[in-house]
Amino acid sequence: MNTLRSLAALAAIPAVVLLASSCAQRDNAVAPNLGTPSFHFNVFTCTGFKMTGGGRIDFPPGTADKNPPASHEYETFGAHVIAEPNGQTDELGHCEGAKGSLEWVDHRPEYELNGRPLNLHSIDVTWAELATDTDCEEGGVHWGGTLVIKNTGQQSRFEVFDCDNGEPGAGHDGFGIRLLDYPYEVLCPDPALPPAEPSCTLTGGNRQFHPTH
Amino acid sequence: MKIQNLGRGLRFAAMVLPLTWFARPAFGQAQRTATAQAFGVSVSTALVNQKTPSATAPAEGGMVQTDAADVSITGLVSARDAYALASGWSDDGYSDAVSSASLGQVNILNGLITANGVLALATTTAAGSDADGSTLADLYVNGVAISAPAANTRVNLPGVGYVVLNEQIATGGGITINMIHVYLQQTGLLGTKPAGEIVVGSATSSVN
Repeated sequence: MNTLRSLAALAAIPAVVLLASSCAQRDNAVAPNLGTPSFHFNVFTCTGFKMTGGGRIDFPPGTADKNPPASHEYETFGAHVIAEPNGQTDELGHCEGAKGSLEWVDHRPEYELNGRPLNLHSIDVTWAELATDTDCEEGGVHWGGTLVIKNTGQQSRFEVFDCDNGEPGAGHDGFGIRLLDYPYEVLCPDPALPPAEPSCTLTGGNRQFHPTH
Repeated sequence: MKIQNLGRGLRFAAMVLPLTWFARPAFGQAQRTATAQAFGVSVSTALVNQKTPSATAPAEGGMVQTDAADVSITGLVSARDAYALASGWSDDGYSDAVSSASLGQVNILNGLITANGVLALATTTAAGSDADGSTLADLYVNGVAISAPAANTRVNLPGVGYVVLNEQIATGGGITINMIHVYLQQTGLLGTKPAGEIVVGSATSSVN
């Protein structure tokens, strides 16, 4: 885990340097472990908010275009997080004090486990922070906790990159997820993709940012 | 006199109309209520009334997901890997409701209608409602492949009734989507009358 943390911090350095002069807010610089620098979701602040909704992503590639229906190359989800910061940070620097829920189904046949689509279900949401360096019009948030892979009963920590970029949610908002203890992620690291990498663009549904909770 | 009235009217419009341009109500106005429901399969006939799996968002705000590895209502419908999810949050202008139902390997009326994947996805915010993301994969009706049917596509089923594909019904402040809705009919001496319904993949969302 220390190695992962180091890699993430290393990847975040260029973006943090670019932003440091213009942003005095606390940054804990936890970038996704994508192998390339992330240009968004690097600078965060601990504040109260709520993000709600759900929808569909067609990953890969995670753009606003839907894949052919017969391919089953899509994911569906519902997720909400309520940030109530308690002034503490965890060992990775995330803002503690949050609650919420995540339901995730990956419909890709190649990700079936024990004969069923990969199904992730949150056990606990423990941290959440507002990203202050995204292009998400309404709000971008980074949050996570622990979940269970329902197909196997295994547990893993997870993180979510969550973006409300206006209405409608399809074609505008973004969502991405990564498991920290298993090699599974649905992230779109291309900075050219709207709205803010590494979140993937919704092809249905909506993310709704609530500035207060 | 008419010119004076016109002037008053324009001044009134200039003062009032801009207040209507904001989609989100100011705090203190009436609370908007978000609702969301979804289900995988519903059968309603004289002998069978069953709905599974189904989910309804809590009134106080939240999300519910239910699922079933196999759905089988003998002779009427079967499906695999059914998930129903409903999320709704009432929060004035930030209210939102999203619901979805997804199923695989759907078989209705002993192969009369089959689909390899069904997804109903309903979304409502203060800005409006949509069915974006809803889809039918490898759909066959009476042996004929139907690709990406337009909203409210009706296909007759001789001797059975008819089916509406990608059924989209505007509701008060929201939308209901039924991806496959079979209307069973019975024909007798007195004509044709309803005999039941089969719905596969239904999602409803609203903000009022």
